[in-house]
Amino acid sequence: MSNARLSNNIRRLRFEKGEMTQQHLADIVGVTRQTIIAIEQGKYAPSLPLAFQIARAFNVPLEAVFQYEPENPAPSPRSLI
Amino acid sequence: MNRLEKRAWGNLGGIILCVIIAGPGLALMVHLNTNGIVGLASFLISGLIVGLISYRRNIKIWAELDERERKIAARASALSSYVFILYLYCASFVVFFVVGAKNPVPAYILPATFLSGLFLMIFVQSVVVLIQFAKERRDE
Repeated sequence: MSNARLSNNIRRLRFEKGEMTQQHLADIVGVTRQTIIAIEQGKYAPSLPLAFQIARAFNVPLEAVFQYEPENPAPSPRSLI
Repeated sequence: MNRLEKRAWGNLGGIILCVIIAGPGLALMVHLNTNGIVGLASFLISGLIVGLISYRRNIKIWAELDERERKIAARASALSSYVFILYLYCASFVVFFVVGAKNPVPAYILPATFLSGLFLMIFVQSVVVLIQFAKERRDE
């Protein structure tokens, strides 16, 4: 878990959504602007409900907003044999 | 400024005020050698009232925080609780070994130790909150 990274496309999605401000997005999902900044910069990993709320605010699936990138990908079942 | 930051600054100011009031207050009570049921009852009641007001205030503030702010507050609370326990541990054993296992200890040591520990805990909690927000602001 520690050597994984959660990246996101919030900044791009905001601009695609009519240049939505961080404050506007924060108001929609019910957090502070500082929290949106922290999430955008990858410094804070949101909870699952908040992640779903953000995805819903952009009308896109969760995977379109957040990507989970493990540094050491899990070995495929074939490599374990 | 964030709600949590405002509260942290308020707590720091409150500690200074409490030290200014509690320090001479305790010294006066020691000087007068205060004892008796009236003093005990008034202290217990006022302590309960202050505790209840503080609890209600904390519940109200907690409800207004978002999940990241709650995480910051929880981290500060955990660290300050640890400092409080460590302080009480050190203070009690310092008294034990400095005074000696079978020698009497003045009664004012007990409230003085508890109050100083409480102030230290609130101080650490506030400083940890402020440091976390300052770090975030620097990284923005």
